[in-house]
Amino acid sequence: MIDDDLWSAVGDPTRRRLLDLLLTGNGGTATTLSEQLPVTRQAVAKHLGVLDRVGLVHALPAGRERRYEVDEAQLARAVAQLTSVGESWDARLQRIKRIAERVQRDRTADTDR
Amino acid sequence: MEFGRIEREIRIDATPEVVYEVVSSPEHLREWWPDEAEFEPVVGGTGSITFGDPASPEAKVEQLTVVEADPPRRFAFRWVHDKGVVAAPDNSLLVTMDLVASDGGTLLRFTETGFRERGWEAAVLEQAYRDHSSGWDHFLPRLVTRAESLVARP
Repeated sequence: MIDDDLWSAVGDPTRRRLLDLLLTGNGGTATTLSEQLPVTRQAVAKHLGVLDRVGLVHALPAGRERRYEVDEAQLARAVAQLTSVGESWDARLQRIKRIAERVQRDRTADTDR
Repeated sequence: MEFGRIEREIRIDATPEVVYEVVSSPEHLREWWPDEAEFEPVVGGTGSITFGDPASPEAKVEQLTVVEADPPRRFAFRWVHDKGVVAAPDNSLLVTMDLVASDGGTLLRFTETGFRERGWEAAVLEQAYRDHSSGWDHFLPRLVTRAESLVARP
């Protein structure tokens, strides 16, 4: 089952950068994150809202701000979806192998004849 | 963390010349991927690949543009761009097949990139083809037909 919202949430480069920062910095607020990115605090808050809605991050109150953390399980789900694209290529490559080896055997047999 | 690239390597007991033919000719492509393939396997060659019965309105047609054709070393194409537009990094996925001769066979290095640039919609689309293009229910009947034609051959 493909979750379009989840995929488009990770489809944006700024949001992927935010996820990277949250993972390496062990969480952060819109303020601390905007200091590390060439975008405003407001823009960061908006992106965090998108990530929050698809469950990729969770907010915890921290003083006057909200502190965000990555939801590892949901992130793993997003990554697993790309993995399954990889698996469909595995199947195609196996077919390429079988076909090429069959063609090779046929040709070798023809030369030996 | 890299979300945007798929890389694979597979060893094939066939010469790079044979493998090149299988990965680049529309006739062979139909055996391992889409149901229909129409394109010129030369640099700049454009065409389409179709998933599902081409006569059915349910069929999915995708555009394909050959970007490198260097037999028997490398074959690369872009796909999923809109019809009539020039394939570019921001509108398509890039599939590259590199072939290296090794021990009388071939090492095939496969990469698909562009998920970052093209967005995840493209990956979703890729996955949508998964069920009917990678299932044995799709492949087995063809394999049987092929095997029978080989046996029937004088």
